[in-house]
Amino acid sequence: MGMLHITCKKATLLIIKKEEKKLSWLERWQLRGHLTICSLCRKFEIQSAFISRIAKEYLQSVHLLGEEKKEKIQERFEADRAGS
Amino acid sequence: MNYSVLNPDKWVSNYADILYAYALPRVSDTVVAEDLVQETFLSAWRARDNYKGEASEKNWLFTILKNKIIDHYRKKGKDIVQSMSDSAITERFFDEADHWTQDDKPLDWGIDYQQGPETKEFYSILESCRKKLQKLQQSVFAMKYLDDLDATEICKALGITSSNYWVLIHRAKLQLRACLEKNWINS
Repeated sequence: MGMLHITCKKATLLIIKKEEKKLSWLERWQLRGHLTICSLCRKFEIQSAFISRIAKEYLQSVHLLGEEKKEKIQERFEADRAGS
Repeated sequence: MNYSVLNPDKWVSNYADILYAYALPRVSDTVVAEDLVQETFLSAWRARDNYKGEASEKNWLFTILKNKIIDHYRKKGKDIVQSMSDSAITERFFDEADHWTQDDKPLDWGIDYQQGPETKEFYSILESCRKKLQKLQQSVFAMKYLDDLDATEICKALGITSSNYWVLIHRAKLQLRACLEKNWINS
């Protein structure tokens, strides 16, 4: 158990960090070492990237308000304007 | 007097949908999103004398909405201490030695990860899995993937430390992955 040895919990955190920022030199070695011996975390790495990509696409899909709710907003807005 | 260029009578019909479409994925709550849109119109109306015509009417309304969303995040950031104490959530995925448990280890999904899932069913599962996350995690997700904000900016908006942020993201990812695997791959 040297400083290069990390757990799956730590490895998954580093995998997530790596998607967003550059890891430190030590972290890169720790993760690389872990991934060579751990097929589960290798799987996690691929699935995590997949989820990030899909989540982004999904979140960018458009949601509309609907006429009924718009009317409600319009009514309240008119009431606010009349009151102020 | 410059607000001859503002047209409040048309605000709701022209902008309610696009403001809502912007707010909803960022706050992950239809009621909150509707309220924010409503408040945006009201604040804009009250501030109409301050409108200098430098930005378009649409951009001006968006600026007001964005500020409201940030305020909303700030308020939620205060709840973070409470949600962070619930540490049992990540522990579930790993054993005492912090390695994957037999029950929660990642399985083969048997899909092409380069492609999209391209089924309606997948997206409805994704949505229900996302809803199972805590509201704060949902917001962090939205800020991260929608606004492409980096960790520093998200922490600033939420008033949380960077280690809190990574714990949140880590848990959210583990939960979302497990939920997708359980409901989509294994169904």
